[in-house]
Amino acid sequence: MIDATTPLMQRIRHFWPVVNLCIGLLVITAIVVALDDRILARTLTEGLIRVVIVVALYMFIGNSGIMSFGHIGFMMIGAYATGWQTCCPYTREMFMPGLPGYLLDNSHHFVLAIFLAGLLSAFVALIAGIALMRLSGIAASIGTFAFLMIIYSVYLRWSTWTSGASSVIGLPQTTTPWVAYCYAVVTIFAAFFYSRSKFGLALRASRDDEVAAKAAGVNVIGQRLLAFVISAFFCGMAGGLFGHFLGMLTVDTFFLNLTLITLAMLVIGGMQSLSGAVVGVVVLTVVIDLLKNLESGMFGKDGFVLPTSSTWVVVGVVMMLIIIFRRSGITRNAELYWPFKSDITAEGALRRQS
Amino acid sequence: MEVVVQVIISSLSLGSFYALGALGIGLLFGVLRLINFAHGDFITVGGFSLIVPATAVVAVPLILDFHPVALIICVVGVVVVWALASYFLLFRHIQTAPPAVLMIASVALSFSIQNLIIMIYSGRPKAVGLWPELTGVIPLSDKVQVPILQLVIVAVTWILLILLTIFLRRTPIGVEMRAAAEDFRMARMLGVNATRVIALAFVISGALAGIMALMYHTQTGILSFRGGVFLMLYAFIATVIGGMGSLIGAVVGGYVVGIFSTVLIAILPEGMRGFRDAFVFGLVVVILLARPQGLVPTRAFKERV
Amino acid sequence: MLLSVEDIYVHYGRVPAVRGVSIGVSEGEIVCVVGPNGAGKSTTLLTISGVLRPSQGTINFDGQSIVGLTPEAVARHGISQVPEGRHVFTTLSVEENLRLGTRMRRDRAEIEADFKRVLELFPVLAERRRGAAGKLSGGEQQMLVIGRALLTNPRIMTIDEPSLGLAPNLVDRVYEVLLELRESRGLTLLIVEQSSERAIKAADRIYVLRSGEIQLEGDAADLQDGEKVRQAYFGFTEGVEHAGEATF
Repeated sequence: MIDATTPLMQRIRHFWPVVNLCIGLLVITAIVVALDDRILARTLTEGLIRVVIVVALYMFIGNSGIMSFGHIGFMMIGAYATGWQTCCPYTREMFMPGLPGYLLDNSHHFVLAIFLAGLLSAFVALIAGIALMRLSGIAASIGTFAFLMIIYSVYLRWSTWTSGASSVIGLPQTTTPWVAYCYAVVTIFAAFFYSRSKFGLALRASRDDEVAAKAAGVNVIGQRLLAFVISAFFCGMAGGLFGHFLGMLTVDTFFLNLTLITLAMLVIGGMQSLSGAVVGVVVLTVVIDLLKNLESGMFGKDGFVLPTSSTWVVVGVVMMLIIIFRRSGITRNAELYWPFKSDITAEGALRRQS
Repeated sequence: MEVVVQVIISSLSLGSFYALGALGIGLLFGVLRLINFAHGDFITVGGFSLIVPATAVVAVPLILDFHPVALIICVVGVVVVWALASYFLLFRHIQTAPPAVLMIASVALSFSIQNLIIMIYSGRPKAVGLWPELTGVIPLSDKVQVPILQLVIVAVTWILLILLTIFLRRTPIGVEMRAAAEDFRMARMLGVNATRVIALAFVISGALAGIMALMYHTQTGILSFRGGVFLMLYAFIATVIGGMGSLIGAVVGGYVVGIFSTVLIAILPEGMRGFRDAFVFGLVVVILLARPQGLVPTRAFKERV
Repeated sequence: MLLSVEDIYVHYGRVPAVRGVSIGVSEGEIVCVVGPNGAGKSTTLLTISGVLRPSQGTINFDGQSIVGLTPEAVARHGISQVPEGRHVFTTLSVEENLRLGTRMRRDRAEIEADFKRVLELFPVLAERRRGAAGKLSGGEQQMLVIGRALLTNPRIMTIDEPSLGLAPNLVDRVYEVLLELRESRGLTLLIVEQSSERAIKAADRIYVLRSGEIQLEGDAADLQDGEKVRQAYFGFTEGVEHAGEATF
C-alpha cells in the first residue's frame, strides 16, 4: 500500500478512485472489443450504459439519502427526445405524426440529440423537483414513484409523439462500446466532481443530519433539487444512448423492471459511494450475463439449463440478502483508492460503520 | 340517470377493492413503517395457487376444484404462509432500518415473486374459471343492470371491515396492535411482544390479500404474473391519500381513489381517458405536498416520516 | 441494590452520549437524576429499558443482567417506563390505555383490584374512561401514563421528566401522587428531572449528570442548600470573585 505523504501524492490520491474506475472499465472494454464477439459486445455496451444510469442514480440517491424510484422516467424522456431528433427520417411521420414541423423535417447528429435530450430531462426534473424535493424521507420516495407512474402513463397514451403502446423502430444504432465508454467516463467524472464540490458536501450533510445541516445554513431543498436535476440530465442521456443501442423504443423498456435492476446494482455495490455504483453494475452485469447464458443452455442441449426468469429471481434474492446482511454493499460505501491506503478520513470511517 | 347508478355501483365496488388492498398495506405500515410493494404479488400468488404448477398453456385446476369453503381456506392459507415467510425471512431482519430500505426490500421481494411465477408457471396469461356463476347480472330496470360480483365485492369488503374493527376494538391483541401502530416503542415498553404483533399484522394482511385474490380472479378470469401489481399500486395510492398508517384513512382513501378514477373515466373527454392513471398519480403528489399526513392524519405518520 | 447501572457508555453513531455512568437504586428508594438538556439523562433511561444498547458497562436488575434484552423483556422483569413526552396512545380510549399496562400479568383477580385502585387514585380517569386518551389535557395524560405504568405492577418505575410542559400546580400534584405511592405501596422510583430544586425536595438520593458524566452524587438531605448541586449542574459557580479569577 502506498502512503500518500507529499502534497502532490495526496492530490493524486484524491483523484485516484476515478482513475481506478475509468481504467478498470477501459480494460474491460478493450478486452471485449478485442475479442470481437458480437453478443459479448452488446452485453458490454448495455453494461456501460447502465454505468451511466447507476452513477446518475448515485449522484442523487447516494448524496441525498432519498431513495428515488423515478429516475427511469427521466431515461424515458431522454430516450424519446433523442428519438424525435434522430429516428428514422423517412418513417418518423408515421410513428410520431404529432411532432412539430421542425422535428419532422430535421435530424440532429446523435451526440447533439443526446445532449439536448439530457437537457429536456433536466428541465422536467427542475419542474417536478420543485414540488418533489420539498418532501422528505419516505414521502419523497413515494413522490418519485408517482413521478415514474405519471411519465409512464403519459408516454403510453401520448401516441402521436411516442407511438404509444407500439414501438418506434429505426433509431440508428450508433451506441458502440466505445461511445458508451466515453459517456460512462464523462458521467463518472461529473459524479466525482459534483460529490466533492461544496454542493455535494452540503447535500451529504443534509443526508446525515437534516436539522443540523439546515442550522448550518444549508438550503436543503435547493441542494436536493440541484442533485435531482444533474442526475436527471445524465439519466436522460443514458436513455438516448439506450435507444441508440436497441435501435427501437418502447414505453415498457423504461418501467419497473429497469428501475429495479438499476436500483439493485446501486444497492449491491454500495449506495453511498461512486465506486459502489460502478462495482455494482460490473458485478451484477457479469452475474446476469452468466445466468442468462445458463438459462439459454450454454452447455448444449442436454447440459444444465436454468428455467426461464430464474436470473431475475436470483437478482432479487441477492438484493434482499445484501439488504439484510451487508447494507453498505460490496464496497461498504468506500471508494477504491488502491494501491493507495484506503479511506482513512472521518467520513470514510463513519461510512464504514453505517 | 342509468349512467349515474352504474357509475355509483362500479365506483363503490372498485373503491371497496382498493380499500381492502389499502388496509393490507396500511396495517403493515402502521406496525413496521413498511410500504409493502409485494402486497400485489401476494394477490397474484393466491390466484396461481388455484392451479397445478406447470408451464403448460392450459391451466390444470388444483385448489380450483375444491369445495368452495376448502377453496377459500386453502387460497387464504397459501397467501398467509407467503406473507409470514416474507416477514420471518426478510423483514424481521431489517425492521429497524429506515423506511426507504424496507420499501426497496419489498420491491426486491415483489420482483422476485413475479419472476418466480414466470419460472414456475411461464409468463403467459392463463384462463381460470373461478365461480363463473358470480359473473351474471341482476337487472334493476330495463336499462340498469348490476353485476352480481360487484355486489359481492362490496358485501365481502364490509363484512371484513366489520370483523377487522371488532378484532381491533374488542380483543386484547387487537388493542395491542392499534397501540403498536401508534407508538411502537411505548407499546414494547409495556411488554407488548413486537414479533407477535408484527407477525399477526402480516397474517391479517396476507388473509386480506388472499380474499382479494379470489374476488379479483373471479372478475378477470385470467392469471398473470403481473396481475396484482396495478391493484397494489392503486391500493398504495389509497393508503397515501387516506393517511399512512391510519386504517380508517385506508378505507376512506380506497373509496376516494375508486370514486375518483371511475368518475374521471365518466367525465373525461374521449381523448383524455387514457391519461387517467397520470391524473390519479398526480393527485398523490398533490396530496403529499398539500396534506402529507393524508386525509385522516395519524400520529404514526408525523413521528415516523 | 435493586437496579444497578455500572459504568455504561452509550453512543449515537460515533458520538458518545453517556460516558461511564453508574447509578444505583435500592428497593423503596426515590432516586433523582438531574442535569441540563442534552446531559444524557434520557439516554440513560432508554438504555435501561432496552431501547438503546450500551457499548460498554453492565446493568443489573435484582442480580440479573438486563443488557441486550428487548424493551418488552425488560418490561417483563418489572421495570416500568414512563418515557419523556407522555406517550399515551391518543387513538385508544383511556381504559384501553390502562388495560395495556396489565397485558403482561396473569393474576386476574389482582388486576381488577389494581385497576379499581388506579381509578380511585385518579378520579378524572374514571370519569373519562371511555373517551379517547388524546382528548385529555396534559396533566391528565401524565396521570394516565403513571396509572398505566402502575398497572404493570412494577418493581421499579422510571419516569422521564414528569414535569415537562405541565403547569406548576399540576407538577406538584404529580409529585404528590408519586410520594403517596411510595408511602402506600413502597414503590421504587428512578426519576429524571431538569429542575434540581424539585428533585432535592422529592428524592432520597440525587445524581447530577452533565455532558454524559456523573458530576455529583449524594443524599438529598446533604444537598439541601442546593449550592453544590448548582455547581455540578452548570459546571461553574456563579459569583463575582470567580468571574474575576477567570481572567488571570
